[in-house]
Amino acid sequence: MAMTQKQMILAVARGEHVDKLPFGARIDVWYNYHSAHKTLPEKYKGWSQTDILRDQGAGAQYRFPAVVKEEYKDMEFIEKNDPPYITTEYKTPVGTVSKKDLFDTSEGPWIRYEMEKIFKSEKDYPVIKYVMEHTIPVDNFEAFQKVRDEVGEDGMVMTGAGLLWSPVQRVMREMIGYEQFFYELADRPAEVEALIEAAKDLERRKLKVAVKCDLEIFNICANWSDDIQTPVFKKYFTPWFKEVSDLLHAHGRLAMAHTDGEMRRLNPLLRETEIDIAEAVTPAPQSLVPMTEFRRELGDNMVIWGGIPSILFEPMYSDEDFDNYVKNLFKEMAPGYRFIVGMGDNLPFDGDINRVGRVVELIEEYGKLPIEI
Amino acid sequence: MFDLSSLSMAIEGGDREKSVQLTTEAISAGTNPKDIITNGLQAGMGAVGEKFSSGEYFLPDMLMAARAMKAALEVLAPLLEKTGIPTIGKAVIGTVEGDMHDIGKNVVATFLKGSGFEVFDLGLNVPDQKFIDEVKDKSPDILGLSALLTTTMPFMGRIIKALEAGGLRSGVKVIVGGAPITQDYANYIGADAYAHDGGKAIQVCKQLLGK
Repeated sequence: MAMTQKQMILAVARGEHVDKLPFGARIDVWYNYHSAHKTLPEKYKGWSQTDILRDQGAGAQYRFPAVVKEEYKDMEFIEKNDPPYITTEYKTPVGTVSKKDLFDTSEGPWIRYEMEKIFKSEKDYPVIKYVMEHTIPVDNFEAFQKVRDEVGEDGMVMTGAGLLWSPVQRVMREMIGYEQFFYELADRPAEVEALIEAAKDLERRKLKVAVKCDLEIFNICANWSDDIQTPVFKKYFTPWFKEVSDLLHAHGRLAMAHTDGEMRRLNPLLRETEIDIAEAVTPAPQSLVPMTEFRRELGDNMVIWGGIPSILFEPMYSDEDFDNYVKNLFKEMAPGYRFIVGMGDNLPFDGDINRVGRVVELIEEYGKLPIEI
Repeated sequence: MFDLSSLSMAIEGGDREKSVQLTTEAISAGTNPKDIITNGLQAGMGAVGEKFSSGEYFLPDMLMAARAMKAALEVLAPLLEKTGIPTIGKAVIGTVEGDMHDIGKNVVATFLKGSGFEVFDLGLNVPDQKFIDEVKDKSPDILGLSALLTTTMPFMGRIIKALEAGGLRSGVKVIVGGAPITQDYANYIGADAYAHDGGKAIQVCKQLLGK
């Protein structure tokens, strides 16, 4: 009996051999945009993402926020939803902090943008730390299971214990902001490090809840790019990823990073993290790094998921260009046992959905394993 | 004569305090403020840009250098009130509509400033019309467009078309950048140039102006 899409992806992720390349495709940007603008192709009007991917013959790569939610104790938590903005205020005994997010999926992306960071000045350090220390992780398994039931055996629901970021990234990108983070780290290293420790502690408590869920692959860090490969990476990031990878491995789970950025400087460090899967790998021409370099740097023990840059689905590339790229990609990954075909990282809104199906056809023709050159 | 290479090195090392101290000392020694900027601050920032592009420096190194330069410029500001800061060109820069990402754009804006450009940073999520209005109003040499998302990068092409329709295209060089942007894409939408990173952006902008 043939393996399902999910079984094939999981088998490769675990280092087992399958008979052809699995394909996990991600189309939420394209789907959200066209659903909101009522411009889905006639055939797909009223269809779900997963049904469209089923029709194209590809495995689904469906995003779900997290299997753990945050609740708050010993503070007043006020959230106001004034579309497209969400303002959040945390009134604690040690002070008040607030943030303002933009959340609107009509142009594609499903993530919130922090228009106003929770950190505004030095006085916010103790308050943010208090908020994290009084955040209670609670399971979100029911909502996750509902999505997983919908996807079924036709793909994977991609999620983890937290939202997008690892704890250090959360402090860097979500709370303080990238540029200010480095200024603060130079001016007030003790305060920044205390915040990082509080974020790690919260994430540890989330993971403790999350491993009770039978999620097979945990996305432990998203949006990797060379901007986080800084002199601080080895000090703050690597030990954390090792700790989480060890914990997940002890529970029989796999660790994954969403590595869809410019990765030349990060690739040599990725293996040191003991993360199992580099997902959304985005090679040239969308980044500087050719697929052969990804393969060489990540080695044979790490699973690569990705390889087709989003822009290849754009009309600027002809069908012939697309076919040639994909066929060459398969050759570069030969014999192909540690490779899951995927996108870096999404089908763009003006991308051609039928090229998703074309990848499936090319796998049938050229992606039987082992791939011979 | 004050040795401005030490100031250049302080900027290169992102040492804010030393940059301020050396700028103050250079002024006290009677050094021409324009020389301080050209041979101290801009020379330092130029070296940082090159080191970033070559892979020796990281993005935070650029940020720290930019912060040091900004602090040094504040020391110089009272002396430049009448003459202004010497510039080699004018640039309008922003992240296109619908896109909330600005790390790369900020780095480019900072480095353009540090390299002698007069920069008008429109911020993020900038509507097409705002770019057009600013090109009309400021008559910049360079228009820098940034996008991180495949959903927003087509707006770059739309802005270029609007510049053409408004008869403004020939008066400004358009440079594009951002994670999903490639040289092929820049060519496809009719941009004048593409730069992969902040260091390259400065070189490319200078080349566009023949500097």
